[in-house]
Amino acid sequence: MHLKQFLIALLLGSALAAGLFLAMKSGTPAEVRSATVLPGAGELPDFSLIDQHGEDFNANAFRGQWDLVFFGFTHCPDICPTTLQTLAEVRRALVESGDENVPRIVLVSVDPERDTPEILSRYVNYFGAGNIGVTGELEQLRQLTSGLGIYFEKVNIEDANYGVDHSAAVLVIDPDGKFVALFSAPHRVDDYLHDLPIITAKY
Amino acid sequence: MRYLLIAATLLLALAACETESLPPLVAADVIVTEPVPGHRMSAAYLSLSNNSRNAIRINRVSSPNFGAVELHESSVEDGVAKMRPVEELVIAPNSKVALQPGGLHLMLMRPNADIDEVSLNFYQDTTLLLSVDTKITRRSN
Ligand SMILES: [Cu+2]
Repeated sequence: MHLKQFLIALLLGSALAAGLFLAMKSGTPAEVRSATVLPGAGELPDFSLIDQHGEDFNANAFRGQWDLVFFGFTHCPDICPTTLQTLAEVRRALVESGDENVPRIVLVSVDPERDTPEILSRYVNYFGAGNIGVTGELEQLRQLTSGLGIYFEKVNIEDANYGVDHSAAVLVIDPDGKFVALFSAPHRVDDYLHDLPIITAKY
Repeated sequence: MRYLLIAATLLLALAACETESLPPLVAADVIVTEPVPGHRMSAAYLSLSNNSRNAIRINRVSSPNFGAVELHESSVEDGVAKMRPVEELVIAPNSKVALQPGGLHLMLMRPNADIDEVSLNFYQDTTLLLSVDTKITRRSN
């Protein structure tokens, strides 16, 4: 008899403890599952490029809104359009859910030789209104990419054509123009929808 | 004797049906993306099944709708996205190879004006192995 009462008490006690644990857990902030959040927000290097309208685009252009920044080139038939399509879907889902921190999509061309503002403009618009395309002098581009740890290098694919190897990461820039997090490939819509609200909530 | 002949004919017909219903190389899930405005290239994705007992080698793909077609492979190595030409696609007996975004794909260059339907022809050297017809997939944004 004593044993039975003891067991019941034990059972009730553990149920209470489990309940308390769950209640506390739901109160703690959620963790990102795919993104890498930088321990300290990084300042952007000084650079001077142009956007798809030919207007100046420098570090100040990243102030005032959240940005998802991807480095790619428009003559890329597979990875770049696939990534931009993913980011466009993320944006659409955030807009539909009424999120207040919907980021812009910024494509920085690692092929300024072929990616003129006109070409970039048609390209980024194809993936949604409000997207930004950035191009300019190679030296200024290197200034930005090397400061962010972004790699790119031209490679020959066939005689008349060439490709550009480039970092596949998408950077998250906060409204102060600081580099706060990054997503590594492969890019999945669900990961962004899970992680972005956690990242933006920390701001 | 007459019955025997009929039976033999039926058997032959059945055998013919069987080989016809299972060609050695079969394509599925064919997607040809539309060229982005201002760009003279797009990509094709599909899966290729080898139903035969021999390996199938594809080393040339052509299309009447594009100036050039190349077999490419994209990959991400140490965080860097790359795309390289692939000389030959070998599909082992009774197996399937998927060409999909971020991996193997056909790069289609210099499209004809206003393409809607696309034909893709897969060859080993000069032997035509398979022809696939599909409509261009429009991206909806
Ligand atoms: Cu390619």
